[in-house]
Order: sequence, then structure tokens, then C-alpha cells
Amino acid sequence: MGIDRRYDRRTFLRLAGATAAVAACGGATPTATATAAPVAGTISVYSALNESTNNEFFGAFKKAYPGVTANVLSLAAAGELQTRIRTEKASPKADIFIGGSSEFHDPLGKEGLLEAYIAPNAKDIDAKFKEATGLWTGWYTGIFGFISNNDRLSKELGGKKPATWDDLLDASWKGKLILPDPVKTGGGYIFMATQIFRFNKDEAKAMDFMKKLHANIAQYIPTSPGALTLIDQGQFVGCPNWAHDILTEKAKGNPIDLTIPTDTGFEVGAISIVKGTKSLAAAQALVNWSITKEAGELNVKLSNRGSTRTDVAPAAGSPKLTDVKLVNYERQWATDNKDRLLKLWQQTVGL
Amino acid sequence: MRSLQREPGVLLALLAVIALVALFIVYPQLRVIATPGTGYIDFLTGGTWVRSTWQSIQVMLLSTTTAVLLGFVFAYGMVYTNMPWKRFFRVIGILPLLSPPFVVAAAYVILFGPRGLISYGVFGLTLNVFGLGGIWGVQTIAFFPFAYQLIADVLSRSDARLEQAARNLGAGPWQVFRTVTLPLSRPGLGAAILTTAIYVLEDFGNPALIGGTYTVLPTQAYGLISGFGDLPGATAVSTLLLALALILYVGKIRLDGGRSFVTVSGRASSMLRPPVPLALTWTCFVACLLLSVVILTVYGSLLVSALTLNFPVVLTPTMQHFEYITSGTNGTALQNTLVFGLVAAAFSAGFALLAGWLVQRVAFTGARALDVLLIMPAAIPGLFFGIGYATAFNEPWLDWLDRGVLIIISMIFWNIPVGYQAAVAGLRQIDRTLDEAATSLGASSLRGFRDVLVPMLGGSLRVGFVTTFVRAVTTLSVVIFLFTPSSTVATIRIFQLVNDLNFGRATAFTVADISMAIVVLGVFAILARGRLALGAARA
Repeated sequence: MGIDRRYDRRTFLRLAGATAAVAACGGATPTATATAAPVAGTISVYSALNESTNNEFFGAFKKAYPGVTANVLSLAAAGELQTRIRTEKASPKADIFIGGSSEFHDPLGKEGLLEAYIAPNAKDIDAKFKEATGLWTGWYTGIFGFISNNDRLSKELGGKKPATWDDLLDASWKGKLILPDPVKTGGGYIFMATQIFRFNKDEAKAMDFMKKLHANIAQYIPTSPGALTLIDQGQFVGCPNWAHDILTEKAKGNPIDLTIPTDTGFEVGAISIVKGTKSLAAAQALVNWSITKEAGELNVKLSNRGSTRTDVAPAAGSPKLTDVKLVNYERQWATDNKDRLLKLWQQTVGL
Repeated sequence: MRSLQREPGVLLALLAVIALVALFIVYPQLRVIATPGTGYIDFLTGGTWVRSTWQSIQVMLLSTTTAVLLGFVFAYGMVYTNMPWKRFFRVIGILPLLSPPFVVAAAYVILFGPRGLISYGVFGLTLNVFGLGGIWGVQTIAFFPFAYQLIADVLSRSDARLEQAARNLGAGPWQVFRTVTLPLSRPGLGAAILTTAIYVLEDFGNPALIGGTYTVLPTQAYGLISGFGDLPGATAVSTLLLALALILYVGKIRLDGGRSFVTVSGRASSMLRPPVPLALTWTCFVACLLLSVVILTVYGSLLVSALTLNFPVVLTPTMQHFEYITSGTNGTALQNTLVFGLVAAAFSAGFALLAGWLVQRVAFTGARALDVLLIMPAAIPGLFFGIGYATAFNEPWLDWLDRGVLIIISMIFWNIPVGYQAAVAGLRQIDRTLDEAATSLGASSLRGFRDVLVPMLGGSLRVGFVTTFVRAVTTLSVVIFLFTPSSTVATIRIFQLVNDLNFGRATAFTVADISMAIVVLGVFAILARGRLALGAARA
């Protein structure tokens, strides 16, 4: 396995190198800035990506753009990075904010803290995966699924996995479910917003669902990964969570399974440039590179997430965005109404 | 006032202390509070803070009581009895201080959760550790060492001659303890209770991980920032915390009254303490042993996790987690942790002692205000301390300032309170005639402080150093808004690994971090003992 992986990576790097070479030779094409000089500079990257993804991802970027040095500050907590960018606005310390769903990037854009950039490669990305003026660009996707502990599921629930979210309201789940806290985690909020879209934005019905679900939920967990660990250990039986992370956990030998109930939601993982960057060209190069086919494939391999590009295949065992039944997730509306809906939810369940 | 005019050195020291406190404690907090917006009032009228305030008070009362009780039993056993295994207990008494709470809380869940290895695996119990019960249990273990350190320092300074005299006059051990030891230890005990209570109040890590839906003020503040980006609301919560701490502080002053607690006078005492009944010695021993078993189980599970593939599911032994932590930038993180912790601890302990002396011994108007300001950081959640620094010192003209230095400064001032409390409590037990003797022999007050008092305050200095070091080594919330790739620390890496679902690597990192801290404290203990002996010889 180790050898396979190294081989894969080498092939990939060779590919990436070739792409860079082609890109350099094709410098005279109309889309490029028509300068022969390669991009150079040092950028500071605030990354909410997984630890395991960071190293290889930025290693590959370095191969593609040898002149650019990316200093990566990694913190797999997009909310903290968002707060950092806000508190640092007097003298920004980041050039790039990468990872975390677009809900974390969009408000920064509205507050004037992001630099708009429509990358040449963004033409390959569907409009629903990017901000129209280029404040942020979506480069990966994640589907919301359901993790269950095999042993406890078969013993205590007859092995019945939920086919729909409504199945979780069954009394047999009482005290056995957990959920990433909608207030503290991006995943928990996307789950709640998904319910609203499932009821065609009838908020009363959605809150009724959340209230009934609340009766079955043993705990709200402050981080999405933290919830997965609890299911791995069998502390609880099931939890709505990110499909890609569930697959990663399963691969480690944990006795768990992934189900994707119908009418589920998804996230768009974004990348954005922080306003005030002193290395604009290098920052733009990273944005443009992150939405190449090569970067997309590498990220799929490293994190099991999907790509916003249609020409990148999903990870093994992972559903394609087009193959699962999704709600009509109006991302902008969900982002704009986040505060109001979370407060509504807090009142509904009494937290 | 006269002494200030006569002694420019003291005046200068005082002005320097005030300036530093204003710049590094007051100013960053003002910057946080001054965040624009009307969210402040909206939030207070919204009323969501009522329940979390009440729950904060509830948790504080429960956890402080048990933590101080345990700390007291531990300290009494260590100072008054000749129970066996004291060396072992000394290490146990510091272990819970050395670990970032988010890893330990995870270990508690693995051991005592609904399907915990011990609760369910051994006893078949389904415990609901999430909520008040869980917070109470975890905080008791997490904070008893603070109480133990402070109480042990005070008890060991109480004068054996007074106790021996009382015994000779016919009082029993219990009566001596109740009428002599306890009253004389009151400033120290008050400080211990106050400090523990404030740290419990401010604790974010434990309630965040094991509190579930039981919200306390720090977790509510965090939820407001991370969920709503509502900094004004979060600041309002933080201010509430400060107000609660201030109430505790006033309570403590009333408790102290205006009595004298002097137990150390000119002549050094070499008398042994009167013996303690055997039954009491063994009761203390058993209590300490039971506590040690719990602590060792928790930390043992971290070690097992660090040495197995995917604890607790896949238990194949492996060294790969330890191999990982020596690779890449991980070594730098450990090194930074060590350097930041040591530098911050040295400066914090020294500064606390100087400030304590100024407040306690030099008469100036505003001494009480300075006193409050020096205790205040204990009540500021690390999150706000970090945000305060990130806001106040992130100006373009300050870009030359190395982030490592800024992190060290934040650690120095965030951790002042314990060292300061210890210094004040220590000074209150030392007779003023000692420093007056020095000054009437022609020494300046500063010289008297340096040559007479500092050597006698080794215990207080040590408390300040140790506490600052361990808190600097284990804090995440202060650093999370300040660190850069080159100034990253172990807790950041551990947090990242936990979030990355790599519990094996996270625990290996934790084990390395704790081991490093134990080595440092071991070396420090050896050095400090030499220093103390030196001090005693000079006194």
C-alpha cells in the first residue's frame, strides 16, 4: 500500500509538472496575463483542510509553481480562521483562506475582507459552486451522510439504517443519536438548513422535525470529527455527518458504515484571497491551480471529498453528487439567514 | 507615600509595573470591549445569558469544593504526615496540570462514556458523562492540583513552633489544626479557593468537550463567536465572567478581614512539626492513592493510545505515532512550547513577586486597584485574552514584532494571578520587622526586598513559575489567534490532530509534551532546592 501510494504520488507529480510546463509554454494564450516570467512570491495560507491533505496538496502546488513559497497555517477549524481574518483586518496576515465550506468565506466577502478574483479555470466550474464576482471559488464538495456503529445497530435497531431523515424520528433511536452542534459546526448547520429545504422552506415544519429529532438526540457535539470518534467507539449508535470523513474512518478499520439518506445536503469547500495581500499574483496562482483537474483528483484521493469539476471522478465508495437525491440547497439564502435560523432553532429546542 | 519620594528606585519599579499592566492587561481587554455594534445591549436584553450564568455558578461551587477538598487532603498529607510514596504523589499532583484538556476529556469518554472501557466494559454501567456530572468530575481532577500547590505552599510556611507550643499546652492534634494551623493559613487558603474558583469559572476546554448541552459562560461565548460571529455578544458574556470574579474577590477581602497572619519572624525555625496520629496519616495515604489510581488510569490510556494503531478499536502495537511526531515541523512545535513556556514562566514569576511586594509593602494610593488588575486575567477566558492581543497588537507598524514574542508576553500576563496570589500570601506571613531591620541598617527597600524577602519567598516564586509554565504549555485558546507557522506550539498541533481524527498521533504528541514538561519541572525542582537552601543560609 505504501509503495502504491508513493507511486501514485510520483505519477501525479510528474503530471503536475508536465501541466506546469505546458502552462508555461502556452503563456501566450489570450487567457494568460501574457507575461513570460513565472509567478514568484511568498504567500501565507490559512488552511482549514485536514492535516493529511495539507502536506501533499501544497507539495504538489510547489511542483507546479516552484517560484511560489506557501507558508501554511493549518487549523482544521474554519470558524477560528474566519475569526482570525476578522481580528487581523488592520494588518492582514493571510493571503489565502482555503478550505471550510463557503458559508465561512461568504460573510468575509460581504464585510469587504476578501479580494475578488475570477480565475481562468473557473470557467469549468458550475455557477452554483462559485461566488458570481469571484470573492470565493468552490473547489471541492462534501455530501452529508449518516454514520452508524455496525455492532450496536444490528443488536439494538435490528440493523435498520435510515433511508430518509424522517426515519431518525423513530422512538427506537431515542438516546442513541448524536449530531454536530448546528451552532458550533458548519456540518450541523448544513444539516439543519437541509431540513428546511426538504420542507420547501417551510420553516415551521422543519423546526417541528428538529424538535422531534431533539427528543432522540443524546448529545450535540462541538466538532463534526469529534462525533465520528464517538460512533467509532460505540458510545452512541448513529450520527448525521460528512460522508467523506465517514469513509476515511471506515478505512482505518473502525466498525462503522456510511448511509446516504435521500434528500440530503452538501457543502461547497471554498478558496478565497484575503484583501491586502502583497503577493496577489502568487495568491491568484494558487486559486487557479486549486480548480485544475489535477488538484481536484489529488484532493479526492487525499480526503475522499468530491470535486466541483465534472471531469474528476469521486473516491471509491463515495457517491457522485449527481447520483444522490439532494435537496434544492439555496446556498446564498442559507448563508444569509444563518443567524436567524440558528436562533430560531435554539428557541425551538430550548437550548 | 514618603518612602516613594525618598526612593526613586521603588517609584521607578512601581511605574514600570503599572505601565506594563496597563499595556498588556488593560489595553487589549478594552480593545475587545470596544468592538463596535449594539450587540452588547441586544444580547443582555435577550436573556440567554441567565441560564448559562446560573449553570456557571453551579459548576463553580461544585468543582471548587471538591477540588479544594482534594487539594487540601493532598497538601496536608504531603506537609504534615510522614506517609510513604511522597515523591510519587508529588508527580501525580502535577500531572493533571500538564495536559491539554481536549485530549484528556476524550480519554475520560473512552474510559467512562456510555460504552466506556471501564464504566461499561468492567462494571456494565451506561453512564451519561456528558453534562453537569461529567464537567464536575473532570474539573475536580483538572483543578485540584492548583489548590494543592497553593495550600501546600501555605501549610509548609506555617510555624511549627506555634503548633508544638499548643501541643505542649495540652491541645490535641485536631484542636491545634483548628485553632492554630487553619486560622494562620487563612490568606493562603482564601487565595487557593479564590484562584481555583476563578479558574473553574473561566475553564473552557472541559465544558466544551464534556458539557454537552450544559452551557456555561465560556462555552456560550465561544458559541456566539463561532456560530454567529457575534463578538459583541461574546464580549458581554466575558464581562459577566469578570463581574462574577470581582464578586469572589470582594468576598475574599471580607473574609481576610484586617488580621495579621504573621508566622515568620526574624529567627529561623528548625523545629519539627508535632507528629500526626497514625490513623490520619494512613487516611491521607489511602485518599492520595485512590486519586492517583484514577489519574494514572486516565494518563495510562493516553500512553496506550499513543502506542497502538487506532485506540480503542484496533489495538495493534505500533511506534508510527511517535515516529510521526519527530518528523517535519512537529519538532519545532515541541521546541517552541518549551522555549515559550520557560521564558514566560521565568518572567511571570519574577514580575508577580515584584508586583506582590509593591502592593503588599509599599504604601501608595491605588494599591487595591492594582491588586484587582493583577488578579483579573484569571477571570478572562483565554479566548478573549488571545483575541484581545490579536486585535490590539496587530497593527501595521507593529509588524516587526515577532509573533513568538507576542505569544510569550500574552502567557506572562495571562498567568500572573497565581504567582501574584502566592507572593502576596507569602508576604503576609512574613513579619515586616524583617524588611525594616534591613532598611534601618541602611539598605534601600528594593535591596531589602531582593536580599531578605526574595530568598524567603522561594515557595511563592516556585508556585508562580510552575503554574505559568504548565499553563503556557497546555493552553490552546490564548495561542489559537496568535500563532504563525513558525511559532506554532504543541497544543495547536494536538488540536489539529484531534480534529483530523488522528487520536493516536494526538496522544503521542501529548505524551511527548507531558514528558518534556515533567523533565523541565524535575530539573527545576532540583535547581530550586539548591536555591532554597542558599536562601535559608542567607536568611
